[in-house]
Amino acid sequence: MRRTRNLILTVIAVVLFAFFLDKAPLLLNGYWQRILNLIAINAILALSLNLIYGITGMFSLGHAGFMAIGAYVSALLVLSPAQKNAMWILEDIYPWLLNVNAPFIASIIIAGVVAAIFGLLVALPVLRLGGDYLGIATLGFAEIIRILITNTARLTNGSLGLKGIPAYTTLFMSWGCLGVVLLCTVCMLRSNFGGVLRAVRDDEVAARMMGINTFRVKVIAFTLGCFGGGLGGALMGNLITTIDPRMFMITQTYNILMIIVVGGLGSVTGSIIGSALVTTMLEWLRFVENPITIGSINIPGIPGMRMVIFSLLLIMVIIFRREGIMGMREFTWDIFFPRRKRAAESPSAKTDTVLEVRDVTLKFGGLSAIDDLSFDIKHGQIMGLIGPNGAGKTSAFNVISGFYKPTSGTIKFMGESIGGLSPDKVCKAGMSRTFQNIRLFGHETVLQNVMTGSRIRQKYSWWMTLAPFVFTDVIREDSAVKARAMDLLSQLGLADFAYEKASSLPYGAQRRLEIARALATRPKFLLLDEPAAGMNPQESEELLQFIRRLRDEFDLTILLIEHDMKVVMGVCDYIHVLDQGVHIAQGTPDEIKANPRVIEAYLGKGAA
Amino acid sequence: MNLNIFIQHFINALSLGSLYGLVAVGYTMVYGILRLINFAHGDIFMLGAYFVYFATIVYHFPWAVGVITAIILTTICGLLVDRIAYKPLREAPRISALISAIGVSFFIENFAVVVFTGMPRPVVQPPILMKPIEFSGGVRLIPLGILVPVVSFALVGVLLWLLYRTKPGLAMRAISFDIEATRMMGVSVNKIIALAFGLGSALAAVAGIMWALRYPRVEPFMGMTPGIKAFIAAVFGGIGSVPGAMIGGLILGFVEIMSVAFFPTLSGYKDAFAFLLLIMILLFRPTGLLGEKLEDKI
Amino acid sequence: MSMLKIDGLNVNYGAIHAVRDVSLEINRGEIVTLIGANGAGKSSVIRSIMGLTKSTAREMTYTSPRDNKPVNILGHPAEDHVKLGISLSPEGRRILPQLTVEENLRLGAYIRDDAKGIADDMEYVYGLFPRLKERHRQKGGTLSGGEQQMLAVGRALMSRPDLLMLDEPSLGLAPVLVDEVFGIIREINAQGRTILLVEQNAFAALKAAHRAYVLEVGAVSLSGTGVELLDNPKVRAAYLGG
Repeated sequence: MRRTRNLILTVIAVVLFAFFLDKAPLLLNGYWQRILNLIAINAILALSLNLIYGITGMFSLGHAGFMAIGAYVSALLVLSPAQKNAMWILEDIYPWLLNVNAPFIASIIIAGVVAAIFGLLVALPVLRLGGDYLGIATLGFAEIIRILITNTARLTNGSLGLKGIPAYTTLFMSWGCLGVVLLCTVCMLRSNFGGVLRAVRDDEVAARMMGINTFRVKVIAFTLGCFGGGLGGALMGNLITTIDPRMFMITQTYNILMIIVVGGLGSVTGSIIGSALVTTMLEWLRFVENPITIGSINIPGIPGMRMVIFSLLLIMVIIFRREGIMGMREFTWDIFFPRRKRAAESPSAKTDTVLEVRDVTLKFGGLSAIDDLSFDIKHGQIMGLIGPNGAGKTSAFNVISGFYKPTSGTIKFMGESIGGLSPDKVCKAGMSRTFQNIRLFGHETVLQNVMTGSRIRQKYSWWMTLAPFVFTDVIREDSAVKARAMDLLSQLGLADFAYEKASSLPYGAQRRLEIARALATRPKFLLLDEPAAGMNPQESEELLQFIRRLRDEFDLTILLIEHDMKVVMGVCDYIHVLDQGVHIAQGTPDEIKANPRVIEAYLGKGAA
Repeated sequence: MNLNIFIQHFINALSLGSLYGLVAVGYTMVYGILRLINFAHGDIFMLGAYFVYFATIVYHFPWAVGVITAIILTTICGLLVDRIAYKPLREAPRISALISAIGVSFFIENFAVVVFTGMPRPVVQPPILMKPIEFSGGVRLIPLGILVPVVSFALVGVLLWLLYRTKPGLAMRAISFDIEATRMMGVSVNKIIALAFGLGSALAAVAGIMWALRYPRVEPFMGMTPGIKAFIAAVFGGIGSVPGAMIGGLILGFVEIMSVAFFPTLSGYKDAFAFLLLIMILLFRPTGLLGEKLEDKI
Repeated sequence: MSMLKIDGLNVNYGAIHAVRDVSLEINRGEIVTLIGANGAGKSSVIRSIMGLTKSTAREMTYTSPRDNKPVNILGHPAEDHVKLGISLSPEGRRILPQLTVEENLRLGAYIRDDAKGIADDMEYVYGLFPRLKERHRQKGGTLSGGEQQMLAVGRALMSRPDLLMLDEPSLGLAPVLVDEVFGIIREINAQGRTILLVEQNAFAALKAAHRAYVLEVGAVSLSGTGVELLDNPKVRAAYLGG
């Protein structure tokens, strides 16, 4: 119902806009037509950079380089041999290049693909870096690309650039491309794969624990973004008909960055609005650089003033309205209609010993965080791991769940060795965990957090999400995952919060959500890191019941770290005690309570 | 290549490298403390060059007075940038400050175009710095070529003394590891950050002045490429490390000058070497030559 | 004679109400301890007193023995507190790993300019912790956990505080060292400094303290003298799960 309504509204809007574009040459002069074209192209560029940076969280400053590749590839394909012959003055063009030709549409797609290939080559080494270093490295690549273009005159005509490129970029062409890019982007971002992208941005560590190979996801997003950069560059070249290497300096990247910052990092709607605003303003601001005559007064133009105002606005936006116009919100037709509330399987496997830890030692520098730790967990057990602060409990968790490689020793999960496997592989094998300091994908809805957890159990590939109407598996699997997620949420008493932002939940609910998300990966074995931290006695009493229920309803085996003794003693079948990395005791809750070594480690000397 | 020409190149590389190093020191100090790439630093360098141009060539100050005036004015600009564009964002996500830095860089460059026009202006070199000195073996060097590295090394020496032998220096080293713990010791963190910006800007001003003398002209975008290369030098040497920044600058200077000297056909790719060097070091030793590892906590 | 008086302190981190309406008072010359389980809000209280965490309170006044004038310290930055005579040895030690032991101590004396006095105090700290003297040229990061803890306490003493706050000084220390640290805490107190101690090691803390507050889920649930609480069955239960 709602979906049909929105679809109809969208179709109407698109038809109206197409009609407007059709009549635009009559309504608008060349200047405004050019602005309209630039808006569409900048929107494509902004969307693609936003995918890399705003959505997936990779700070890239290399977009101008990928634009340059796209612009040159397309131009070289559409220029006629005669034009090429006339243009290469200093050095001869490569003979094979002289006769290469392609129709415009093919040329811009090839341009995007070549840019994407370069993007992939860049991504493989560089995306291992994080944060600012990634920004600088991508900036470096963009500069290298520019320098290569300048210096390979036989291929690119060097610093002279290319002139007389046919002006194929019509309004229909630019807006049509934007339409396709927009459709694919929106479809992808709405699918569960889109949720995965945002999860990588919000918390990479937690995403890995949800079974996501975050490096692969980042490479995909980066490469797709580069495709957009190449496409935008190609359209740009065919709009302004002249390109040269100086067009693709870092300033170009800054312009696009400005658009997504103004529009809102991570918002598709924001990129479109930002593009319209920034492009119009940049063109409109040209007046301050041209001399104006009002009556008899002549105001001379001030060169540079345009960018001064522009940069001041950028600084002001970032200081006073950091989240931009849209923040991370998106446009939806629903804002015109009052919202109504909307209102749900279990895994099983039987192996006797679920986890087998043997002689595991973990060292940082010279210090042992864990020393020669061994224990087993049997199917269906709830096992407690306790010990004073700094005893190595969380380190043990990190080793078991694959965040740290043990210095020595073996870990077997369901009979398979997992020591040294990465967290996403461990998760795939059927293990999941929560974190001591809750790690949710804070900007996402509660529902999306859980759905992200289910991504590893889905079969469709990421590229199908670009066109879900063709690959209907995407829609089917996503709706199944959504139903299961809603189911989980209602079992955990979170259904009312499904569409709230995860970070806005009360503390206890955030803890439960983290567990729900872990359950969505369909684990056989669950690690809980201090689930009762920050709960009041009544809440921890409820938690006690809840953990037992979890085990029974989801057929789980559970290992938990906990400081709240009431919870530990109340729920655990068996307890291991660590102190300063050493395994000092084990036994049933009653044995542990009576163990003098434990009392001493916990309470200090003289307590026993 | 005979010895004479080699020595010329060597001195050239030393000058260029020490200039990169001097600018890199400013990047490394700010990054070490705030984890912020101060994109505007290259433009502060440009302002230094312009101020000395105006002081000495337009307003005919004596050189010494002109240089000091330029350093003071540049330092004030550096402090203003921190105060206006970065300080309000101390609590914000780091990316906001980074974008603000890009905005400031844009602003300074274009403001310079508005005020100084985009035309490059020639700088008159004081003849005393340009008169070649003959050494035995036919080696001829101009005093400027020797002055640049000497001044640079002396200034970095002074900076190291400040960092390692004075109280504000101690505080500055401390806040680059742990701002909050340093604040608990009674250190006014904002004053120390301002000091870092001030010192960095003063060094950039000196570098800008010497740059303007070497390539005798000034123009509004002159800080862009040296700025980025100096940042690369800082990363190369190990971000946060002052000696590292200087070493990174020197290596960059030598790679650029020597590769072109030995392989003249590569001169068109001169600017690409810095980036290649950067990508290599990031891949094989992400902490740079002298850098410390910054760990993420799970 | 009251030195620090707090009434109705609240701390919020987003949705988490970490400290709820905590009131406490510290008198001159006392050792007061704040005990409670992990996450009970102990560190948040101490950080609010130091001005490191945003908080609200009806009253937070500090009376310096230097001039006996009560001043409001709520909402002031940490560096002002140090000048008033409050200092903190923070949770997790927070020593500066790349600075030498001596530089760490020097940093502790940042607000002071009396070279002679600083040198004397450094000798005093080395007297308390002879191990630090042996390693005064070593970088802080190369010290063992126990030595780092000593350094953190020593560094907090270097500003010559009247009120010394210690956050989990026994954390991660071997039992032998725990006794040593608490011995030194008593010694520092005997020399005239008031001490606020946050501890997880409840028994050691209660034995050392004159008075104690028990925090549970951000609120004070019990208070009394150290001896009283040591015998309180509720305290024993809370720490061993009854």
